[in-house]
Amino acid sequence: MIAPRSATASVPGWASILGVVVVVLGVFLTAAHATEWLKQSVLSANVPPSGIMPDADCPPAELEEEGISEAECEYLVDHVRGLMLASPDWFPAAMGTLAIMGTILAFVSVIVGGALVNHTPWASVAAIGVLGGLVLIDILQFGTVALAGPILRDAYLGNFFLWFLLHLMLVTGVFAGRQYDQKGSGESGPP
Amino acid sequence: MQRQGFTRTAVLIHWILAVSILFLFLSSWWMMGLPLPSPDLQFRALPFQLHKNIGLTLAIFLLTLLYVRLKYRPAPPGDRKTGSQVHLLAVVTHVLIYLSVFALCVTGYLASAHTRWDTVFWWMIRFPRIAAPNEELNELWSDLHIYSSWLLLGLVAVHVTGAIYHSCRKDGVVRRMICW
Repeated sequence: MIAPRSATASVPGWASILGVVVVVLGVFLTAAHATEWLKQSVLSANVPPSGIMPDADCPPAELEEEGISEAECEYLVDHVRGLMLASPDWFPAAMGTLAIMGTILAFVSVIVGGALVNHTPWASVAAIGVLGGLVLIDILQFGTVALAGPILRDAYLGNFFLWFLLHLMLVTGVFAGRQYDQKGSGESGPP
Repeated sequence: MQRQGFTRTAVLIHWILAVSILFLFLSSWWMMGLPLPSPDLQFRALPFQLHKNIGLTLAIFLLTLLYVRLKYRPAPPGDRKTGSQVHLLAVVTHVLIYLSVFALCVTGYLASAHTRWDTVFWWMIRFPRIAAPNEELNELWSDLHIYSSWLLLGLVAVHVTGAIYHSCRKDGVVRRMICW
């Protein structure tokens, strides 16, 4: 049950605002990591055993339904072929594992963000841990893609760097807010 | 006496809906870029079935959320200083979000029902066919599905903006949906 108004007013501004931002980004990131997980599963499960992609099948009725030209339909297959060619053997497993870990941590960050909004005693410590974990996932994903070659760098790196910066800002913000709280309670408390 | 926050069931369903809806957006943008299906190219099979399964499950969750919210109405937040126009915007946005999610579920199901692909709910329950494959109706319902999705995306942006607004005001509105 929600705390009364007086308790709401006692929540520091940084915790209230950062908490909601962590929740919103956490929801988005959970969906993004889950999509990446699905992406790697689908691409690796549908690679033909020969490793050679079949030609595109582009019936006119399907093209009209999809609203694409025949050239675009052929490009859809070429695009997947390009991704498969660009992916080292270890890439799908590495990205898939990081995506699973990212999905779980991002979902936990939604809970921790809520705890920040409520200014639960354990919230700031948990937020530093979870957001720090997400920074680590971002770095590992960045490194994985950086080693994978230019095509995958083009597809992923900008996105991963943005998430890295966002998580770094959030973890720094929570860290600073925690220090501010400790300093404030130290000053107003008994000598 | 009315309870002060939303029930735990309502809170849980709200966040499940939030994550699932965003997942459906992101994954659908990606899956529509996969090769068109053929006997040799089955890239779309799993993502489309998953999309349909999650969408149908969302309809069940949405109805449950609506029931829980109407049965256990929370008291208004303590701070009533929010302007009446902002309050009206919040009410309209919430109603439109419910309607657009429901419209997405219905139009998605009807679009799928007019294709040659069957719906097997979570790979266990085969739904009976309600219509024969029909290209024109499939396109019509697909277009409505897409328009509803753009509408929902805009509404989600307004909803999130509202959450940030209330969070900065520290008026207790956001905490009603984050009470764990």
